[in-house]
Amino acid sequence: MRIYEDMRLAQARVAVLQYSVVVACATLLVVFWYLQVLRGRHYRELADNNQSRQIPIQAPRGPMLDRSGVILAENRASFSILLRPEDCPNLDAIIASLSRLLHVSESQIRERIARRGAPFQLVVVKANASEQDVASIVARRLELPQLEVNPVPLRSYPLGPAGAHALGRVGEITERQLGSDDYAGVHAGTLVGQAGLEASYNRFLMGREGVRRVIVNSHGVEVREEKHEEAVDGPRLELTLVAALQRAMEQAFARRAGCGVAIDPRTGEVLALVSRPSFDPNDFSTGIDPTRWARLMADPDTPLIDRVIQGQYSPGSLFKVVMATAALEEGVVTPETILHCAGQITLYGNVFHCHRAQGHGAISLRRALAESCNVYFYQVGVRLAIGRIARYAQKLGLGAPTGLDLPHEMSGLIPDPEWKQRVQGKPWYAGETVSVAIGQGQVTVTPLQMACVAACVANGGRLPKPYFVRAIGGVPQPHTAPQPVGLKPETLAAVRDGMWAVVNEHGTGWRAQITGHDVCGKTGSAQVVSHEHLARSGGANEELLPHAWFIGFAPRDNPRVAFAFLVEHGGAGGEAAAPVAQAFLQRFFGENDAQQQVAGAN
Amino acid sequence: MAIDRRLLLNIDWLLLGTSLTLACIGLALIASATRVRHTPAVTLGAAAQAGAAEHESAAQPLRETRRWKRQVGAIALGFVVFLVVLVIDYRRLADHAPLLYVASAVVLLGLLLFGHSVAGTKRWLTLGPLQLQPSELVKVVAALVVARAFAESRKESLDLRDVLAPGAATAVLALLIALEPDLGTAFCLVPMFFAVAFLGGLRPRALLILVLLMGLAAGGLGWTFARGYQKQRLVTYATRYVSPEGWLGRQLARYVRIEPRAGDHRGAGYQSRQSRIAVGSGGFLGRGYGQGGQSQLGYLPARHTDFIFSVLAEETGFVGVSLVLALYLTLLWRTFETARRARDRLGALLVAGLASMLAFQVIYNVAMVAGLVPIKGLPLPLLSYGGSSTLFAFMAIGLILNVRMRRFVN
Repeated sequence: MRIYEDMRLAQARVAVLQYSVVVACATLLVVFWYLQVLRGRHYRELADNNQSRQIPIQAPRGPMLDRSGVILAENRASFSILLRPEDCPNLDAIIASLSRLLHVSESQIRERIARRGAPFQLVVVKANASEQDVASIVARRLELPQLEVNPVPLRSYPLGPAGAHALGRVGEITERQLGSDDYAGVHAGTLVGQAGLEASYNRFLMGREGVRRVIVNSHGVEVREEKHEEAVDGPRLELTLVAALQRAMEQAFARRAGCGVAIDPRTGEVLALVSRPSFDPNDFSTGIDPTRWARLMADPDTPLIDRVIQGQYSPGSLFKVVMATAALEEGVVTPETILHCAGQITLYGNVFHCHRAQGHGAISLRRALAESCNVYFYQVGVRLAIGRIARYAQKLGLGAPTGLDLPHEMSGLIPDPEWKQRVQGKPWYAGETVSVAIGQGQVTVTPLQMACVAACVANGGRLPKPYFVRAIGGVPQPHTAPQPVGLKPETLAAVRDGMWAVVNEHGTGWRAQITGHDVCGKTGSAQVVSHEHLARSGGANEELLPHAWFIGFAPRDNPRVAFAFLVEHGGAGGEAAAPVAQAFLQRFFGENDAQQQVAGAN
Repeated sequence: MAIDRRLLLNIDWLLLGTSLTLACIGLALIASATRVRHTPAVTLGAAAQAGAAEHESAAQPLRETRRWKRQVGAIALGFVVFLVVLVIDYRRLADHAPLLYVASAVVLLGLLLFGHSVAGTKRWLTLGPLQLQPSELVKVVAALVVARAFAESRKESLDLRDVLAPGAATAVLALLIALEPDLGTAFCLVPMFFAVAFLGGLRPRALLILVLLMGLAAGGLGWTFARGYQKQRLVTYATRYVSPEGWLGRQLARYVRIEPRAGDHRGAGYQSRQSRIAVGSGGFLGRGYGQGGQSQLGYLPARHTDFIFSVLAEETGFVGVSLVLALYLTLLWRTFETARRARDRLGALLVAGLASMLAFQVIYNVAMVAGLVPIKGLPLPLLSYGGSSTLFAFMAIGLILNVRMRRFVN
C-alpha cells in the first residue's frame, strides 16, 4: 500500500524559489541592459583604450650642412634597448639581469624608470647599444619578452669639438622645457636641441612626429596596426659656416683657450665660430652620463660656455677703434691732429701711463692706432667725455646683443653716468672716462660684438646682424642686411687706414701680416688684474696675464672677412692673438675652395 | 538494465533540449575564446617598422590546443553519464546515499592528503588520461544525502535541532572541498542545503537564524583560512568605491595586510574591470563572433572557463545575453516545476536541491561577470569549459529527468 505524502508545503515553497530565480534573472537582465546598452559607448571606449596604443614615430632630426653642402650634423642609425616596466611581473630580477647583460648599473636603470613621463611609457635601458648588446637581448627574447630593440637615429657631428659651440648639442628634454610652450607636444625623453643652433632652430629641426596606432594583446604584444601616420623629417639647415674654415680656426688656436669668430662683412654671415676649450657634442647624443656631465659643468675652464657670444671681456685697446671713430665724427681730432705722448699724462690729478714708458712723442691718429698709444686716446677721451663715447659705442653695436641666431647671447656693458648712478648709486668721476678711453674700467664686450665693429669699419659703416642659417629645407631665409650707422666716409677711411698701419706699418699687429693680402686690424690686451699686481707677481703666473685680442678684416679693399680673436691670458694682443688670426687668414686666403665658395655664394 | 518504455515517453524533451542547446552555445564560445593563445614574444620595433612581412610574423598568433574538441568529449561523456543516471531509479540511488556519502568523504580526504598540488590547489584527481574534480560530483551526492535526510522526516515543521544532523553532514563535505581550496564549489552546497531544508519544512524563523549563523561562521572561517588572493578579491570588491588615500582606506590598510598574488602585477581589480569592459563594450548586438577585443586579445582572464559569459556578452551583445539567460530561466523554471510535480518528497527535495545549486551557480557567475559580486572560481554550468563541471551538469539534469519521468509511476 502506498503512503501518500503531504506535498503541499513543499510545493508551495518551491514556488518561492521558482519566482526568486525569475526575479534574479530579470534583475541581471536589467543590469546587462544598463552595462551594454546604456553604458555601451563608455565601455567601448575603455576597451579601445585597453587594446590600442599610440606609438609615436620619431621624425629624423634635420641635418645641418655648411655652405657648400658638407655635413655638419646628421643622424646615424643606432639601437636603443627599451623596457616597459608595467609588463614585468618581477621587475627587480629583470633589472638585475639587464644590468649584467648590458653593463648598465641597476641604479641607473631604476632612475630612468623613475624619471619617465607617464606610466606605460617605454624606458630606454641602453641607448646606442652595441651589436653585442642587441644580440644578447634578441637571443633572450623568450626570457625577457618585455624588452624592445628599436632603431634610433643618433645625432652625429663630424666636426666634433670644433663645431660644438656653433652647432650645439642635443639632450633629453628637461623638466622645465616640458612645461614651456615652446616644447608643446614634445614627449618626455625626447631629444631636443640644448645649445647652439640645435637649440635655436629646434622647432624646425625636429620635424613632425608620426604616430602608429596599434592593437596590442594583454601582454603588450602588437597584433595589428590600425593607423600609420608617417613622420615628417626635420628640414635640412643650410648654414653660412664653412667646414674647412671652422676646422682651420680651431687649429689656429693650437689648443689654447680663447675664441674666434669670422663673419662676412658684406652680409653678416658667420663663416666660422670657435670657442675653446670645447666639448664633443657627440657625447651628448646618447644621453651623457651624469659623471661626465658633472665634470663638464664643474670644469673651471667652462667648456660649455660659448665665449664668442657669452664671454664678456674688457676690450682693452680694441676700444681705440671706437674712440677714433667717435673723435673723428665729432671733430675733436682730425687725421692731421698731432698730440704729444710723454709716456704718461696727469689728468684730474691722476697719472695715467702709456704702455711705452719713454712715450711716443708727437703722434697722429694713424700712428696712435698703429702703435696703440694710450696717452693720445686719454686726451681724446677727455675731449669727447663719457656721453659721446657711450653713444658711439652703442652706435657700433656695443652694449647690446648682436642678434645672432644662437641662444643666450650676452650684451656686454658700455658704462655711462646714468648707468653708474642707477647700478652703483654713485656719480661718474671724470677720471673713469680716461680708463674707458683705452677700453679699461667697466667696459665689457663680446668677441662677436667686436667682429661686428670690425665689419662695420670694413664695409663702409654698416653694422651687420650676424646669422648662421641661409636656408631651411631649401627655402632661403630673409635676413636684414647690414644697417648704416651714419658715419662719414672720411672717418671710416681714416680708421681703416689706422688699422692697416697696425698690421702693415710697424704696428702692434704685424704678426698678422700675410703677403699679398692687405690685412687690417687692431690689437688689444684686456687686463685681468691691475698693472701693479701683475708687476708684483713677476709675470710668472699665467692666469694673471691679460687676454690677448685681435680684431680686423681683410683685404683692405672690398673686404671679404671680418674677425675677432681672443686668446685667454695670452698677454699682449700682437704677440698672442695676431698670430692666431694670421694662421686663420692664411687658410682663408689659401683655401681656394673656401674663397670661391664665399665669392660664389654672393 | 531494463527500462520501462513508458518512461521514455515521459522524458522532458524541452529540458533536455535546452540543456543541449546551452552546451552547444558553450562549445561555440569556447572555440572563440581559445582561438588565439597569447604567447608573449619580443616585439622588435625594428622588424615591425621594417616590413609588413616581418610584422605579420611577429604578430602571428599561435593556435591553442583545440579546447573545444576536448569539450565535445566532455559533453559526450556527460551524455553517457546522463543516460546512466536516468536509468537508475532515484529512489534506489537514495538508498545508497550513505555509501556514496562515505565514499565522497574518503575521496576528498584522500585528495587533501595525497593529491597533487596544481596551481596551489588540490582539486584534481587523475584517473589515467582523465583529470577529474571530485568536488563537482560530490555536489550531486550532497544533494542526494540532504534530500534523503529531509524526505525521511515526517514532521509537520522542522526546528533548528532537526537540521543539525544533515547540516553537519553537508558541512563536512563543504569543509573538505573548501580546504582544497575550492571555495566556490564549497559555497554551492550552502544554498542547496537551505533550499532543501526550507522545502523540507524548516520554519522560516529558524531558517533566518541559520542563515545568519552560517553567514557569520563562514565569514570568520573564510577569512581565517582564505588565501591572499581570495582575501584580496573580497577586499577589492568591498572597497571598490573606497579611495585608498581616504580615511576609510587608511583604516582598512591598517587591519588588512594583503600580499599581492604572485604574478598578478596588474592589481586585484583587474579581472573584474576587464570583464565589465568586455560586457559593456558588447553593446546591443555584440562585436561579432570571434571579434571581441577583450576576449580575443587576452585581456579577459579565464575567458573559456569562469568568464565564458563575458565572451558571450562581448561578442553577441545584449541580444545573446538575453537569449542565454532565457534558456537558463527555461531550464530552471522547468526544473522547479519538476520538483513541484514530483511523486514524493524525496524526488521533490532532490530536484529542488539540484535546481538550487544550478540556479546559484548561474546567477552568481553572471552577476560576477557583470561585476556585481566578488570573484569566485565558479564555472557556469553547461557553458564553461571543463569536464567535471560538465559532468556535474549532466548528472544533475539526468537526476532531474529521472524524477520527472517517474512521477506517474508507482
